[in-house]
Amino acid sequence: MTAVVAQAVVNGLLIGGIYALVSIGVTLIFGVVKIVNFAQGEFVMIGMYISYFLATLIRLDPVASLAVSMPALFVCGVLLQKFVLRRVLGLGDMPQIFLTFAISLLLMNLALLLFTADYRTVQTPYTFSALRLGPLYLSVPRVIAFALAMLLSAALEIFLRTTDLGKAMRAAAQNRDVAMLMGVNPDRVFSVAVGLALALAGAAGSLLMPFYPAYPTVGQQFTLFAFVAVVLGTLGNVRGALIAGLMMGMAESLGVQFVGADSGLLVVFAMLLLTLAVRPGGLYGGQTR
Amino acid sequence: MSHAFAIDIFIRVFLFAFIGVAWNLLGGYAQQLSLGHAAYFGLGAYTSTLLLIRAGVSPWIGMVAGGVVAALASLPIGALCFRLRGPYFAIATIGTAQTLMLLFLKFRDFAWGAVGTTIPNLGNSPWMMQFAAKAAYYYIALGLLALGLAVTYWVERSWMGYYLVAVGEDQAAAEAVGVNVPRIKRDIYLISAFLTGLAGTFYTQYIYFIDPNTAFSFNISVEAALVSIVGGIGTLWGPVLGSVLLEPASALAQSWLGGGAHAGVQLALYAVILIVVILWRPTGLLGALTAAYDRIVRAAPAGGPASDGTGILGTGPTVRKGLPLDG
Repeated sequence: MTAVVAQAVVNGLLIGGIYALVSIGVTLIFGVVKIVNFAQGEFVMIGMYISYFLATLIRLDPVASLAVSMPALFVCGVLLQKFVLRRVLGLGDMPQIFLTFAISLLLMNLALLLFTADYRTVQTPYTFSALRLGPLYLSVPRVIAFALAMLLSAALEIFLRTTDLGKAMRAAAQNRDVAMLMGVNPDRVFSVAVGLALALAGAAGSLLMPFYPAYPTVGQQFTLFAFVAVVLGTLGNVRGALIAGLMMGMAESLGVQFVGADSGLLVVFAMLLLTLAVRPGGLYGGQTR
Repeated sequence: MSHAFAIDIFIRVFLFAFIGVAWNLLGGYAQQLSLGHAAYFGLGAYTSTLLLIRAGVSPWIGMVAGGVVAALASLPIGALCFRLRGPYFAIATIGTAQTLMLLFLKFRDFAWGAVGTTIPNLGNSPWMMQFAAKAAYYYIALGLLALGLAVTYWVERSWMGYYLVAVGEDQAAAEAVGVNVPRIKRDIYLISAFLTGLAGTFYTQYIYFIDPNTAFSFNISVEAALVSIVGGIGTLWGPVLGSVLLEPASALAQSWLGGGAHAGVQLALYAVILIVVILWRPTGLLGALTAAYDRIVRAAPAGGPASDGTGILGTGPTVRKGLPLDG
């Protein structure tokens, strides 16, 4: 019995790494630009399709295609911020919600039109390999995804803590006006924040390809999980989003094991309600970093 | 374009204007942006259908019953979801509609599951809300729209209307001034859900078919919000304008491009329209129209109070762009 639970926890932790990447992106945009990105999952989807086509056309391993998907999505993020998001800053909830929601809708349906609803998968030499750790089986592609997800998160942490631009972003997240008084250029900071967030989403997509199918609406579940993880981890808190993402992964895995295969939505709701009831400020109790 | 096709478009325009008006009460005036109104549409539809097929109850009664069921459902859903603000509320509402769809997909014994059911064709039986002449549906849809507009008009001019706008514009300030925010939100949600439930019954009777994917369709939730946003959120006639613009466009797009081969065209089109409207006129096109009218007819400088929807159509409290309190 404990072996079953342990296996579920481990599986959940591994996929949680991906959820963490997506959640960090959402919380980064929310913390710095104060916009909730409904379309985050769709950028994961784009990352998946980029890796899919590179794998199919030039046999590039999805993990290697990080080198393509991340920069491509970074540029997308910068363009998105400069030409679209900037126009709704400070306009209040409604335009922001519906703008990113519309972008999400557009991307999903464009993907549907361009690529059809077919599931696209990529086979790598290691897709079905697994490591053994005592009684536990660790799926190799998931381990790789988890490891790289943690690496990228760590890199982001270092960036935010040590570089000037990173500190400027944290300052803008904490208090935009004072940050501007201190000489922070909001435009640049916002663009980089959105760019990084989307790059992380693209990375998540590429890392998913070896073991997850790509299809136009695949992003929605990631958006949903990310939103709950962001609330759980405290809005705007990157470390919180990381931990919450891992927790969501484990919760989902345990739910699938003990409640049933369709329990994804239930898990999401349960986590959200639990957070709101017990600790509405999230794990870090309202501290944006 | 055949006569029947034209009437069908009119019916769609009225129906989605009505759903939009219902949505607008919650989403426009109270600014609680729901993306899960299909939940009430579906509940209304299933209630009347179950009453009709299992108990032979007339859909007219079933329609009211469906509205009541939807309204009652809004109580626990609201209690849960109103704890969240902004985009989180929206996500939670999406979740509730999805959950209901999943539940009804599983209820094979109780409610026909994924297969759904057709409405038994009783020929022309007005008492059972079935008509041989399409024009009858036209008048019912028009009647529903008139009902929705009347309710909105009355709410706008009542104390509730002022409380609503206060809550919508700044919930914290409204609370500070003594507005019973939870009660207002709950009450307007009841009304909004009830009306949406009525629409669900009508639609099912019109197309003679129901299944969870149609009844709880995300498309319906999106359209409910879309027609209001495009037309003029928080205004009386906004959803009507939005529906007049969007429904014919969508029907024509579908008939030209076909649903099967080009799945996703309709939603992609909606998405583009939504993006354009939000970037250009976030408060909706009604404001742009009234401003243009003022400029042409009155030859007076536009802008100022006339450009936010309170122009010639005099719609009472309207929603302005949010104050940039946090920059």
